[in-house]
Amino acid sequence: MQTVQAIQRFQMARTLASTGDVSTIRPWMTIPDISHLYHVPENYLYESLNITNPQPAHRTSLRSLAVRYNRSLNGIISNIQTAIKTYRKQHPPHHLFASRHINQSSVLEKKKT
Amino acid sequence: VTNLLAFLLSFLQNYGYLALWGIVLVAAIGLPIPITLVLLAAGAFAALGDFNIALLFIISLSALICGDNVGYLIGRIWGSKALNWLEHSKRWNRLIPPRTIARSRSYFRRRGGWAIFLSRFLFTALGGVINILSGAELYPYHYFLLFDIPGEVLGASIPLLLGYIFGASWEAIGDVLGYSSFLILCLLVVILLAIRLIRNARSLKRGHDASVHKPVGEQSNPAGTSAIAAAETSTGSTGQLPLL
Repeated sequence: MQTVQAIQRFQMARTLASTGDVSTIRPWMTIPDISHLYHVPENYLYESLNITNPQPAHRTSLRSLAVRYNRSLNGIISNIQTAIKTYRKQHPPHHLFASRHINQSSVLEKKKT
Repeated sequence: VTNLLAFLLSFLQNYGYLALWGIVLVAAIGLPIPITLVLLAAGAFAALGDFNIALLFIISLSALICGDNVGYLIGRIWGSKALNWLEHSKRWNRLIPPRTIARSRSYFRRRGGWAIFLSRFLFTALGGVINILSGAELYPYHYFLLFDIPGEVLGASIPLLLGYIFGASWEAIGDVLGYSSFLILCLLVVILLAIRLIRNARSLKRGHDASVHKPVGEQSNPAGTSAIAAAETSTGSTGQLPLL
């Protein structure tokens, strides 16, 4: 039973990760990891955390950042989640919408014919 | 476990390959460290560009084999002495009779290879104990290596590749691996017990049939006793619980 539940949790985690859901940000992640996974510039994330000299923090996890800057881990994660959402609003993924639009219009054209 | 894992991951992120080698070595010797999760995480870090997956595999494999050898050596030097002492100690003889130790030794010589192989990648929590036991039971070293190295190739590659493939979801896949490994262990124990039970029942039946077909004059022993004795001699059982 627990194995089945673990498989379900895994499937859910995969789905959320593939859609870029910000709730999948974990304490072990570093800022470069988050930048890579969620397609947000590293500097933007550092700025959202008010970290001015990011070089020493390059390979530091969020958990370690919380300890180093004497902040709560949940607070740091929440700040990053908000920053990613804001960035996505400011920079909508045009290419994705464009390709979707092309696909939809081609389907409509096929239906008409 | 969560705090220990967090500490190990932060150690790995800060000190890289050298940290991984140290963590894996200590875990392979037998310290209770969630090594599968660490390797899954290392694979995920490689997917995120922090490490090279091939180098991770080489480092993990070398550390695992070194750790296993250290465990085997500890068992060989001190474990075998402890077993010899147990075998000859009058105080412990009542609790663990020398015959049981001899039986476990011969059983390990026959089936130990599978225990070594499976504990490398399927039941990793038992790996350290099996290493020490192999040394203590004086299991031949070349056979130990023969089962250890292929097992460790799987033991290092499976979590690293899963971590690499599933990336940020490595924690969820770690849960799946943990539960499924426990499930397989339970199933294996149940299957082994069932086989043992069926064998014992068959031997008992055979012994009972033999005693029934004997001439009347020869039936000096009660039928049950002779049947149990026949079952014990045919299966090598002492009537105690099977030693797994």
